[in-house]
Amino acid sequence: MKKNHGIVALALLSAGTLALAGCQQGSASGGGEDGDGGDGAVTLQFQSLSDQPGAQAAVSAAVDSWNADNPDVQVEILQAGWDGAYDKLITQFTGGTAPDIIHFDAASIVPFASDGYLADLSDGLSDEVLADVPEGIWDSVTVNDQIIAYPSTMQSYMVFANADLLAAAGVEVPTGDSMTWDQLREIAQATTTADVYGLGWGLGSPAATVMTLAQGFGGDFFSGSGDDVQIEVGPNELEVPERIHQMAYEDASLDPVSLTQSGSDVLASFYGGTVAMTVQGSFQAANMAGDAPEDLNWVTLPPLAGSEGALQAANPQTYSVNIDSAHVEEATAFLNYFASGETIGAIAQADALIPASTSAREIVATETGGENGWDQILASADGLVGAPFLHADAYAAWKDTVLNPALQQYLGDQITADQLAQQLTEGWG
Amino acid sequence: MRTSPRVRAGQYVLLAGFLLFLGFPVLWIVSASFKSSAELNSLSASLIPNEWVFTNFTEALERQNLLRSAANSFLVAVCTMVLGVVLTLPMSYALARLRGKLRAAGTVWILATQVFPQILIIIPLFLVLRTVMLNDTLFGLILVYVTFTLPFTLWMMQGYVAAIPRELEDAGAMDGANRFRVLLHIVFPLLRPGLMATAMFTFVSAWNEFFLALVLLQSPELYTLPITLRSFLGAEGQTQLGPLAAGAVLATIPSVIVFGFLQKKLTGGMLAGAVKG
Repeated sequence: MKKNHGIVALALLSAGTLALAGCQQGSASGGGEDGDGGDGAVTLQFQSLSDQPGAQAAVSAAVDSWNADNPDVQVEILQAGWDGAYDKLITQFTGGTAPDIIHFDAASIVPFASDGYLADLSDGLSDEVLADVPEGIWDSVTVNDQIIAYPSTMQSYMVFANADLLAAAGVEVPTGDSMTWDQLREIAQATTTADVYGLGWGLGSPAATVMTLAQGFGGDFFSGSGDDVQIEVGPNELEVPERIHQMAYEDASLDPVSLTQSGSDVLASFYGGTVAMTVQGSFQAANMAGDAPEDLNWVTLPPLAGSEGALQAANPQTYSVNIDSAHVEEATAFLNYFASGETIGAIAQADALIPASTSAREIVATETGGENGWDQILASADGLVGAPFLHADAYAAWKDTVLNPALQQYLGDQITADQLAQQLTEGWG
Repeated sequence: MRTSPRVRAGQYVLLAGFLLFLGFPVLWIVSASFKSSAELNSLSASLIPNEWVFTNFTEALERQNLLRSAANSFLVAVCTMVLGVVLTLPMSYALARLRGKLRAAGTVWILATQVFPQILIIIPLFLVLRTVMLNDTLFGLILVYVTFTLPFTLWMMQGYVAAIPRELEDAGAMDGANRFRVLLHIVFPLLRPGLMATAMFTFVSAWNEFFLALVLLQSPELYTLPITLRSFLGAEGQTQLGPLAAGAVLATIPSVIVFGFLQKKLTGGMLAGAVKG
């Protein structure tokens, strides 16, 4: 009899939980559907990937403000995460359930534009919004002469230095608008001792860093766009990896172990004083401000300049509109509202990223007072430009299957620069 | 033959080493959940935090709706477990005992389903669920989980069924019991260890699964724990390690409780089976 009670309980539990689960219907209906509320108001779904509390608050504040001002066009935030965002979005587009407004980044969203999933914002964005963002950054979100996203914030690669270790080595902290790679090499050599490496550089996944900094030497890698893209790996493209290799294996001023680590891993060495300098994404300045030991006198050095200047590839975070949305016009109007200097400035500060728009950059400069490296970080934005790799449809796959492994081998001193060039060229297409 | 004290000591040392190997990641994640961000980025790592910090837990709970996600995960995992067990039990018996084309077809189906990578079928699956209006629902997710775990649980349970001597069933039949009574009173009690193993497998699989939930659920209020925990991984590879560790520790608790409860039954079932067999 006792056993029967168990079976009955199991059956009831099963029925109850299934019934409960069956009742749980989500609210997301997809931007491809009507999106009209029962009261005639339009509801736009806005898939946001903002992960920092401050950035989420800024997005919510902008949406709340819009909703209060526009009772007929309500925006609903669908909070999602960066991890797996590409897979989620491709399923949403294929299944016709993609939201109306989509947050992503340029390199990841451009292939969706090439496949015709995104609306052309060229005419919908206001003149004020268009004029607020530099031309080079618009290039990164322009596909077939159509603006397919509003670029919001981005990062640059910066050199952070332990000023005390530089002083102990008799090195003056560089100032000015930029710092050359030769200067970086000299400082790394000068600060290298028995216990300290001059430079720690987390290049466990080196592709993004190399492609971004290659712009400083005119390393374009690609020409053409979409499916019709050719690759060329010449001296300009190899300049950045060769210089890193040189510092690690000829000068022994770059910690070779750090080349296998992530940027965050190398921060521990920087905080511990075992590396004098580290190259990191600019957003790490915010982490340093909070996590660095109080006695660590860290400074941000001027942006790295190659033969073409202090140029880096701009891969901004983006906001796009689903072309199948029933309310493209309303969604674009919301983007014009969202693109205000105050909103983008608040998001940028929360994420410690550089605003793409001039107005937001001015707000950040004023509010931060240039403290904690913001002066140099904001200055680096002048060198952020669109890069050809952003427009190569097969770039994402090539990066993962060819570029990263080949660079890892080269930076691990397993292959030569010629072999690196050969692998990159033969691995394309 | 008595084991010599030296051999016994060696066995204990090996056992301790193995336990340490298994337990260290758990200890580390618990330790990380009580550390400040500055300490987590320090070169001098220690298992005992220099300063105990509890804000990681409050941040994990408050910021990402961890409790709501935990409730969703629990609901999905329990339903998957119950439905999985209810379906596996008769199906595995049929596959193990019945001879004929159905069994061969079933075996081929089980093997065939294992060779397709998830990424290959996710879009068709999404379209099917959308057609029957089960995308973005926990019920749809449960059905998918049951479908994905069923081949393995059937394969596993078949072995348990096959290990029960047919003579036991024949004896029951000779005593006048019909097939249903034989199953209910002889076969199923002996299958308890297998059922517990199946239950644990389905529960843990559903509890930990990330990719299908990520793609099939769109509404934040339906997110399961793995999705919510991944939200501590930000753009540019930024990881909020403290809150992530705290969330992971909290997320492990229900799983450990269910595991502990079922493990007792698993042992009990094995003993019961041994006596009866």
